[in-house]
Amino acid sequence: MSDNNYQHLYVVIEVQDDKIVPVSLEMLGEARRLIDSFNKKYQSNEKVVAILLGHNIKEICNTLIEYGADVIVYADSHELKNYRNNIYTKTISQIAQDEKLSAQISPSSKFKKPRYMFFAADSIGRHLSSTVLVALDSGLASDINKLEISDLKITHQHKTDGKPVTYEKTLEMYRPDFSGFLWTTILCLDNKNPQIERDYHPQSCSIIPGVFEPIAPDKGRKGPIIEYMPTFDQNDLRVKILSRQVIRSGVDFDSYKTVVSFGRGIKDAPEQNIKLVEQLAKTLNAEIGVSLPISKKPFVVSENVSSKYMISDRVIGTSGRRISPMLYVAVGISGAMQHVVGMQDSRFIVAINPDENSPIKDECDVFIKGRMEDVIPKLVEEIKQQSLAVNA
Amino acid sequence: MEKYDVAIIGGGSAGLAALKQLSNLGKQAVLLEAGNKIGSKNVSGGILYSKRPKKGHVHNVEDVYGDIFLSEAPFERKITKYILHSTSKDKVYSIDLTAAHEYESNFGYSVLMNKLNGWFAEQAAESAQRFGGGIISGVRVNSIEWDEKNDRTIIRTDELEEFEVKAIIAADGVNSEVAQISGARPKFTPEQLYQGVKVVVKLPEDVINTRFNLIPDEGIAHLFAGDITLNHIGGGFLYTNKDTLSIGAVYHFDSLLANPTEPYTLVNSLLKNPMISEFIKDEVPTRGKIDKNLPQEEQIRNRFAITKLIKSWRELREAYLSQKGKNDLLKSGKYQSVDEIKEQLDSIHNQLTQKYDVSFVTDYVEVEYSAKLVPDGKRCRMLKPYNKNILFIGDAAGRGVFVGPRIEGLNIGIDDAFRAAEAVARALDKNNFDPNYLGEYYATSVDESPYTRDMKQIDKDYLKIFLDATKDIPSDIISTRYGAVLKLMSSDTFRSVAVKFANILGYERLLPMVESEDTYVKVPIEIAKRLGKTIQPTYTPSIPSIADRVAKLNFNDDNNSHIKVTNPQSEFLKKIITLCPTKCYSLENQQVMLQHEGCIECGTCSQETDWKHPRGEKGVVYQYG
Amino acid sequence: MSDLNVAIVIKLEPDFSEGNVSYNPDGTLNRAETKNTLGPHSAIAAHAAFYSKVMYDAKISIGTMGPPIADSSLQMAQRICDAEELHLYSDRIFAGADTLATAEVLKTGIEKMQGKIDIVFAGHRASDGETGQTGPQTAWKLGFTFLGNVIDYKVDLKERTVIAKRMVSLQGFNDIVEEIEAPLPVFISVDPAYKANFNTVLQRLSLEKYKKEAKIRSDNYKHYLKVFNAQQLGVDLKFVGLLGSPTIVYKVERIPKGKATRQAEILDGSNQEDLRKAVAKMKEALSAMVIK
Repeated sequence: MSDNNYQHLYVVIEVQDDKIVPVSLEMLGEARRLIDSFNKKYQSNEKVVAILLGHNIKEICNTLIEYGADVIVYADSHELKNYRNNIYTKTISQIAQDEKLSAQISPSSKFKKPRYMFFAADSIGRHLSSTVLVALDSGLASDINKLEISDLKITHQHKTDGKPVTYEKTLEMYRPDFSGFLWTTILCLDNKNPQIERDYHPQSCSIIPGVFEPIAPDKGRKGPIIEYMPTFDQNDLRVKILSRQVIRSGVDFDSYKTVVSFGRGIKDAPEQNIKLVEQLAKTLNAEIGVSLPISKKPFVVSENVSSKYMISDRVIGTSGRRISPMLYVAVGISGAMQHVVGMQDSRFIVAINPDENSPIKDECDVFIKGRMEDVIPKLVEEIKQQSLAVNA
Repeated sequence: MEKYDVAIIGGGSAGLAALKQLSNLGKQAVLLEAGNKIGSKNVSGGILYSKRPKKGHVHNVEDVYGDIFLSEAPFERKITKYILHSTSKDKVYSIDLTAAHEYESNFGYSVLMNKLNGWFAEQAAESAQRFGGGIISGVRVNSIEWDEKNDRTIIRTDELEEFEVKAIIAADGVNSEVAQISGARPKFTPEQLYQGVKVVVKLPEDVINTRFNLIPDEGIAHLFAGDITLNHIGGGFLYTNKDTLSIGAVYHFDSLLANPTEPYTLVNSLLKNPMISEFIKDEVPTRGKIDKNLPQEEQIRNRFAITKLIKSWRELREAYLSQKGKNDLLKSGKYQSVDEIKEQLDSIHNQLTQKYDVSFVTDYVEVEYSAKLVPDGKRCRMLKPYNKNILFIGDAAGRGVFVGPRIEGLNIGIDDAFRAAEAVARALDKNNFDPNYLGEYYATSVDESPYTRDMKQIDKDYLKIFLDATKDIPSDIISTRYGAVLKLMSSDTFRSVAVKFANILGYERLLPMVESEDTYVKVPIEIAKRLGKTIQPTYTPSIPSIADRVAKLNFNDDNNSHIKVTNPQSEFLKKIITLCPTKCYSLENQQVMLQHEGCIECGTCSQETDWKHPRGEKGVVYQYG
Repeated sequence: MSDLNVAIVIKLEPDFSEGNVSYNPDGTLNRAETKNTLGPHSAIAAHAAFYSKVMYDAKISIGTMGPPIADSSLQMAQRICDAEELHLYSDRIFAGADTLATAEVLKTGIEKMQGKIDIVFAGHRASDGETGQTGPQTAWKLGFTFLGNVIDYKVDLKERTVIAKRMVSLQGFNDIVEEIEAPLPVFISVDPAYKANFNTVLQRLSLEKYKKEAKIRSDNYKHYLKVFNAQQLGVDLKFVGLLGSPTIVYKVERIPKGKATRQAEILDGSNQEDLRKAVAKMKEALSAMVIK
């Protein structure tokens, strides 16, 4: 089949409580970069198409354009307010195959399906991508953290009947493997073997949140915003959301690239030292955690500070949370096993501690020797000077 | 509300026996156990006896479970030798007390509670199911309500909907919460308790047989007094299990308070004794240093490979050094001959030493550290072991016989259970749960038990056996301290009179004299010094730190502490900083602070804390017990 | 006949625990040297199905696609949930299937199970690569409503509906527990946080009864086992195995070293130059790509 049957990169946007889930903008950023170089390389004019489902979401469409989408297709209905797999799957797969829609995106009589498709690898996108791709009868790679588009020469027993075939515009999807050491590259390829000829498009994946950078929003960007009017099967609407309950009001370590934690080392002047930690966290745009003994309230601090920090939700360790931020700063934490278990998967660990013999030394990448009272103010200055660009 | 006839609270060996016996009598009973699995919270020394007293009758384990106990239960070894050792540094003097061990006894088996209670539970549950009852684990009772108006008893738990019962058997151990919430008795005091700490040491079955000179399935018990006590009242023990050893230290709690010493230091003092060091030694693989210059994944890959090989070596060696294991391997067809197993074992050994820088050294393998409080029945047994329609049995009722080298608890709990089941069945038949009908009947029955007698008075025949065993000890060592009394007791003619007189005078009043530093520390040290033979240690065991021991235990952590410190300035708690077996307490700014993670629920701190068992399934999960 | 027929799809997976797993020098899994076990998420799915047995006396069927030795995973799952029927879909032609082709086999197998299946349970994901797509894809092929991340559920046998609680975790948002009602049949992928709640003494006693039955049945699991090859299953060969897989693994390579080996560089907190260095390193860590 002709290459023109498949066009554009469709990104399935997620919205929660009228707010865009950050990974959606990250996907748009990566989509923008990929399609820009694609268009340059292949001298084409394919688009980044954002698909948005929800209710009263019109205003969000402009934001998506600012963040790199060329075209928005949205479906607005109270039935779509929250994700339900069946009607979401059907609506998205209808949009992805709607020829009238594609004619509005770019006049091409041949459009059948998207060329590429992105979903978020989270509790909505991971399952949604799976069902949509069954509906579209194509392949999917999950939990991807690196993408490239290239022309690949492939020899495959089944796909190419053992003969070398060049697959153009192929999306190389990199998935970190179970071992944590390996990257598996997954391709979604049409069967070119004449006996079992079959097309597999779109080439799709779900993308790990927090990996890619969104582009800087550009208010000047413009693009068509197209409404799609979905129709629902009455039987599908028998699936009802009865209630939604927010369960954790507390601490969201996962949305921060940096976590600053403090421990018993604050003991000389708990109140002031916590203020110092707050300052450091603010400069780094970090969430604040505590090591275990803190939650047992061994220090006299004001109720205000206590109820904010001395809570089990903030505890990192065996009986608390296990986190893996990119940067972890342990302030005045000795590094007891109970704590280390909760933070050892962090990418980079900095410890600030006066005692060079404390076990945290063996668990960190940089050990800054000194009392937090002395170190933090200087460190904060230094961070400001180097204007450490950190975003949540 | 769901209704059941009887609730048994606590799934230790006493509670399980009560369930089994009630089912034997055709009654419906539901047993509630807080641990996620029966046996996961139980610790014992332990030897399980079956007794046949000359006067009166006790109910033994085989009376409850039938002869199937003897043929199928997973006890460890039948203890056929019972030796008391006096220690002083590298000198040990041994006294054979096998006759005392065999006194009025059908048998004594070494046991590990996790395994054994698991078997008891299977038996009891199967019987109980026939009458609409059974075992429910992972459930902690938090309150009991007596609705007088409607004449019903309501049980509430952290996990289940409330339900109604007619009678309750409380078998929730030495730290019985049922006793607290029902007001049946105050918490036991340090004078009434022992604290026991135990380690389980792995040793292949054949090695045990050879080293302790045992025929298969027979075992030996060693008791220790002298300098290993570090000047506390009590002593140490080493029991042979099938392919492990139970080694523990048991000391009077008040003597520990008087001279606070970490429980692990006490158990370590045993392990460091040259006789015990030699008993426990084994061939142990030790990893070389990981080359930190290798790429990280290479390091991990090597580590995993070594772990796997060591595991295979251990498993294969364990099988190779046990008759059953060897037979199973041959039967499985994996190996054609014993030599072939040995070859494979050597080949793994070589791989480890040559390829992975693992060396094999003489050391010992500790697999579990545990602790429990033990009620000293002489001092704390409940005189009225009931309250309303609740009957207390075993540790919960403070019952245990500890007289010199006589150490019994499990069998007493089972005897209580039998009596409680009988009393409850009778009450069910008459639908009369009035304390005068149910509780009093049980109290009388328990009072008639020979075990109760043994908690109240000296048995002169047992004393004679004990004295006979010690007759080789030069009298001057003993007589300086016990002089006249001993002379009296040693004479067959006068012993009866003396014992009678002593019992009239009051057993309780005699105890402080008998259970003294002289008995457990000074005299044994002197005996060892003068008579003991020297044992040369061939290595120094590398004893794990308490942190390593705790790290090795399994916990199902609860974010909320089951213990609350109500008075952080308490002098008692300041001593508990030392006496907590897993070091959960520390001092911050003169305030005692608790970190409950790592708590093994022994209750040592319970005297002055708000102490509860962890919620269902939470807390420590013992593998051996 | 039971009022409720449930199925579980499970997977035999390498046991990744230290002491059981083995890696090749190139970092790939040494499958021959690594023990296999019932996947931990499959086990959770079996526990969830067992809830239906205890509460609704459901009939349980378990299906798995895999090599002949995968029957051990069926046994292990039966030990958990007291299943009446075990299906093993085993054919060399199934090998190398991606999730879409696996879903085709499972769907066909589920349709061959005794009774009309009302609920299918699957694990959240497999630990050896499959990332939770097979469940929803099988659901879609079956035409069952898919419910993911389920942490709790109950069945209304009269209305023939399921009420499930599912956990929605989205980046930057608080976790939400969503209660959702769906008519049977449904396909439930069970969240790792799932825990069955048996709240009354009676339920707990019946739980124990079934557990015992499960032990007896699983000791004798071959009695419950049916093995199907492609032909017996009646699948279209174009849609299974390698032929039916849109995706291929193109290459496997080492991830360029991401994590630092924690050998701390010790810096002096009172020295401005040292702090500059520290901040530079922090900056570098933050700018590099995340490898989770």
